[in-house]
Amino acid sequence: MSIQKQAYNALEAAVGAKYISDDPAICEGYRSGPGGYESGLGYERVMTTIPGAVVMPKTTEEVQKIVKICNRYKVPYVPYSTGFYGPRSHCHVENELLIDLKRLNSFEIDEKHFYVVVGSGVIYSPIQQEAMNKGAYVIIGGGGAQASAIANLIGDGWSPLSHRIGLPHRRILGTELVLPDGELVKMGSLADGSDPFWGDGPGPDLRGLLRGFTGLRGCLGIVTKMAIKTLPFQPEPLVPTGIAPNTALALPEKRVKWVNFQMPSKAAQVKAMFEIGKAEIAGAVTKVPLFWRAIAKAECKEEFWEIWGKETEETIKNFFIVRVLLIGYTSEEQMQYDENVLNDIMTELGGIARPTKPSDESWIKNADSAGMWLMCGSYVSVDYIIESLSQATQHGESYADLKRKYTPPLMPDNGDPGWFQSFELGHQGYSEFLVYWDQDEDTTGVDHFYLETAKMNIKERFYTSLLGPHQPLYLTGPMYGPNYHEWLLKVKDEFDPLWICHPPVPLAHDEFIERAEWMKPLKDWESPKKLPMPKW
Amino acid sequence: MRKDEMFDTPKKKVALDVTNLDNFVYDMDHCIKCKGCYWVEHTYMPGVEFSVRCPSNLWNDFDSYGAFGKMRIGLAVNEGKLKWTDKLLEVIYADPLCGACDVGCKRNLDLEIGLSLEALRIKAVKDGAGPMPAHKKIAKNIAAKHNQFGSPHENRKKWITKDVQVAEKADVVYFVGCSGSYVNPEIARATARVLNASGRKFMLLPDEWCCGNTLYSVGMIDEARELAKRNIEAVRATGAKTLVTSCAEGYRMWKVDYPKLLNIATSDLGFNVVHLIEVADEAMKKGDLKLTKPVDVRFTYHDSCGVSRLCDPWTPWSGERGWMGTVSPALKRRRGTTGLYAQSRNILNAIPGAKFVEMPRKRENAFCCGAGRGTKEAFPDLASFSAKHRLDEVKSVSAEVLVSACPWCKSNFSQAVKENGDNVKVMDIAEIISAAVEL
Repeated sequence: MSIQKQAYNALEAAVGAKYISDDPAICEGYRSGPGGYESGLGYERVMTTIPGAVVMPKTTEEVQKIVKICNRYKVPYVPYSTGFYGPRSHCHVENELLIDLKRLNSFEIDEKHFYVVVGSGVIYSPIQQEAMNKGAYVIIGGGGAQASAIANLIGDGWSPLSHRIGLPHRRILGTELVLPDGELVKMGSLADGSDPFWGDGPGPDLRGLLRGFTGLRGCLGIVTKMAIKTLPFQPEPLVPTGIAPNTALALPEKRVKWVNFQMPSKAAQVKAMFEIGKAEIAGAVTKVPLFWRAIAKAECKEEFWEIWGKETEETIKNFFIVRVLLIGYTSEEQMQYDENVLNDIMTELGGIARPTKPSDESWIKNADSAGMWLMCGSYVSVDYIIESLSQATQHGESYADLKRKYTPPLMPDNGDPGWFQSFELGHQGYSEFLVYWDQDEDTTGVDHFYLETAKMNIKERFYTSLLGPHQPLYLTGPMYGPNYHEWLLKVKDEFDPLWICHPPVPLAHDEFIERAEWMKPLKDWESPKKLPMPKW
Repeated sequence: MRKDEMFDTPKKKVALDVTNLDNFVYDMDHCIKCKGCYWVEHTYMPGVEFSVRCPSNLWNDFDSYGAFGKMRIGLAVNEGKLKWTDKLLEVIYADPLCGACDVGCKRNLDLEIGLSLEALRIKAVKDGAGPMPAHKKIAKNIAAKHNQFGSPHENRKKWITKDVQVAEKADVVYFVGCSGSYVNPEIARATARVLNASGRKFMLLPDEWCCGNTLYSVGMIDEARELAKRNIEAVRATGAKTLVTSCAEGYRMWKVDYPKLLNIATSDLGFNVVHLIEVADEAMKKGDLKLTKPVDVRFTYHDSCGVSRLCDPWTPWSGERGWMGTVSPALKRRRGTTGLYAQSRNILNAIPGAKFVEMPRKRENAFCCGAGRGTKEAFPDLASFSAKHRLDEVKSVSAEVLVSACPWCKSNFSQAVKENGDNVKVMDIAEIISAAVEL
């Protein structure tokens, strides 16, 4: 496999011989699976392949040149920042060019106006440290400290810190986007050549080209630079301690502190989150799955199963924890005030404080998302919603019910309803459902479960992340639109008439259903006989 | 858990045996590209500068040069889908096997990345593709002259000077190594002085040969095993209870890879293997070694890989892998936690008159100098790049002196300093201890 020689030569002239290769040993390193997010599943096996060549630009101008060459020679391409997001960020068609963006690693911080400007290759944890050095902080996305901040913000971009820091689209400021044909779009205040301090453009808000609920998986161009809002933090240092694997940030307890409360019921749990938001206190308010605690306690995979094996449906049903991060943003007195308010709320609702370590192992600087693979070997956050707090908890429970039907291959988790938390001071509730399995087993059931979740969401009327290009477009589009899919395809056709940018997204899941025999019995929706896209 | 919620997964035999790449298929195909092998552990992430811990993948940005790329390549090689080529050999061998990837992965996933990479090189040699020409030359030198530089064997003890007392018979044997014997005699002398000053009587092997670190590291396992047998027997024949090294690579070889090669535990060697760091730390605690002479420098410390994340003792393990990838019997993973991190710092903080400053990347997150395990010989450009990158970090903390615990690090850093024209002095930990001892 390789791309046309003329195209290769032109690309080589654009970036230099050192930064392009079609050697099989280089291309093999860019294989999606078999492990990783959503890997080891049918989609990864059927829909992904290794690139025909890999190119590593350094600047936005080089990205533009590359994209224009791809258009000239009709070479399909996929943008790739860290490759962590599983099959979706890897090549889907033969002889495709993978544009590895890790060398776009520029970084600037504007201490006075509270923002950073980053390239596509910059990940979260260094940004957080640089921000903290200047008295500010950002979110470490749930995707992990190792996720490209840009990729995360145009896809997901939230974490427990969203309780205070807010949703991702509010933090995307001036942005540079190379369209599928190579044209450069500057968004927000960058559009008129100003500093990247503002996200809304002078005309229609073009940030919609980057993301809706959860993004378009790189099929509408390449974001090469973005200004990200930071927010003021407290000034005391958070000190790294320990030797791997037992490392954590020691917290200055008078300014930063996690507190866990055991609540008497689900209703009290939700009410507590609501009241904490209403009182406008805390930096994070969350409830995580019980098995995460088992992961944290276990020294190894085998010990996890020993610990987890002792849990029952009953213990899960009665696990009503509320985990609160208190931050004295302005002073120790403010922190004390927040804690007093929190204690008042908890006293009223019957919450009992549990011993909590004076440290942070995840969320503030390190989201341990990689640890999610320890238990079973394979993992995906199958879906997430942003609803009201009370609605969010129902979402997780409905997933848990469906999941029973597919266990095994899914991990036995005693009906754990997943993770939920407060966003934007309780104005929204977030629910995320996570599934685990062993990729070495028969994973047909996981593929089926994934698709069935979309049908369940349609039936239950949950507005979820698994819309658009994240599930078969012709399944979800008519149900949520009724012409959502048609508009998405019109946008794609307008900006990328050749469908050269990461084909066949946004119809990749439709294509998957067509190709994977074991998925066909589940297809009970209408779609065109021939999917409306060029064939690569 | 209910049985109807679990697959009845057939158990597969598996062993921590690097002579068969099949043993590491599970590890290779469960890599998730989180790049914990590449980035400094996020808790310790210092910022946008010095954020990477993988020398290979910083030297060459393509994913194939990172462990996450090599895991995919390893699977393709194992399945016969990828043919050996010059580029593939470069990907496999342009790598100091420094263990940063291994401890990074074991922060969260416990995959055997380091062993997978070693097994891949062994397969390269078995397939007739590896090692690199420079490594074959070293193998010839060792076979002919018992040292890797091809120097005359009779010169091995030339480092000994009159002020050094070497015993005829002692409980401790000092294994000097090829570098200390031929290239960095100042380290051997300083080590001997520190042992003398500590009151630790030591002898030398009557006929010391190369430890075989490079042979093992490049996959020449048969040759390495023969050396291991020969050297272990030589130490046992002396009756010594403890073997001391001043070379981090040699320390790792004796403590970890010899037992691995012979399928025994480190504790079965019949003698203890220690680095000078451990001897000096213990002697200081007991009051046998007193650091009293002021050394007026601002210095920093580079954790050499062999005395840090790579030196957990070896225990053979074989068993079965079953449901959800769990193994039995219990496997104690080697995660680099018993590195000599505290011991070295106990010493360095006790150097009178000196100011010890840490670099942003330290202990298990340290950035390798890039010289070890056959890299400098086959890929001098990578070794030079890594050393210069690390020197940038040395300069970022305004250190005048860089201290390490391995002659390979010292040589490589010294060469980089010379090429850069840097105003940084490179010393071994033996030398700075020796400088602080009133003799």
